[in-house]
Amino acid sequence: MQLPLRIALIIVTIIYLFLILKAIKNKKIQISYSIFWIITGFILIIALLIPNAIENISNLLGFELSVNMIFCCTIFLSFYLIFCLNTLVAKENKKNIALIQELSILKKRVDELERKQEEK
Amino acid sequence: MKVLLIIPAYNEQENILQVCNEIKSYSDELEYVVINDGSKDNTLKILQENNLNHVNLVHNLGIGGAVQTGYKYAYENGYDIAIQFDGDGQHDINCIADICEPIIKGQANLCIGTRYLDKNSSEFQSTFMRRLGANIISFFIKLFCKKKITDPTSGFRAADKVVIEQFAKNYPTEYPEPESTVTLLRKGYKVIEVPVSMKERQGGESSIRFFKTADYMIKVVIAIIIEALNNKKRRRK
Repeated sequence: MQLPLRIALIIVTIIYLFLILKAIKNKKIQISYSIFWIITGFILIIALLIPNAIENISNLLGFELSVNMIFCCTIFLSFYLIFCLNTLVAKENKKNIALIQELSILKKRVDELERKQEEK
Repeated sequence: MKVLLIIPAYNEQENILQVCNEIKSYSDELEYVVINDGSKDNTLKILQENNLNHVNLVHNLGIGGAVQTGYKYAYENGYDIAIQFDGDGQHDINCIADICEPIIKGQANLCIGTRYLDKNSSEFQSTFMRRLGANIISFFIKLFCKKKITDPTSGFRAADKVVIEQFAKNYPTEYPEPESTVTLLRKGYKVIEVPVSMKERQGGESSIRFFKTADYMIKVVIAIIIEALNNKKRRRK
């Protein structure tokens, strides 16, 4: 991999890590979710800093360009992440439905109680 | 024996009052609860002004979520039988006795009112496409549950105490009728069909107008297969 590309990637990754740490500090994301992002960032930086590491691995796996391996990994990771989010949405949706149902039934009961109270 | 009619209503301002009055004049013992599924028209106003027993969902949930609210209500208040009844006047109140009978006698856990079984009793046999769709769904139910259900999408169903509890805890939201029938069959509950008459809709819009599309069919079939795989066949005594 050419030096300018390598440097550019390192800078982007550092910015990325900085943004994540800032988000954790401001409590914008939960720590359990952030671990995934931090680990990927650090792996990328280490791989970029060790000379020829990415080239050797991608040659070994049979990628024509080392950058392709990075793309490939990121795409698979993204797919996995989208899938995780999808299941999360389904789970939250289920909870949401249950909440709306319980709340609505409760509201009805409260209304009925209030009416009985007024009648007394 | 406490019987509850669950009436899901979404934008049913034209029909809901008439349906409730029909129920009241049919029998005094029959209780009902209208589930207002976040209607955008005057349904809620009509329910409040006429003092009709109702639960107002704070957000629109769709037919599955609305009906499940009814089952939860039935479960919490200890009803023996819960009957799903459409808020659009499509179902015939005079068939209530027929649909309850197998459950009172203990012959079934779930009793589905079907419009296809008896040709004479129903004025409304619905369109060819609907029948074709129902046939395809019932073929798959037969394949996985070894039981013929002629009208798997019928929304006119009576459930006994065990099924009320089951539905209160777990009820599919996307394609509720065929999916829940498959779950019950796979768990070994007894499901029976009785012929009922259904009228043409008196007004409002059908919640299954997308029925005709192949999209619906494919998803229902997938849902049936998933339900069948999730519930290994069991026999209950």
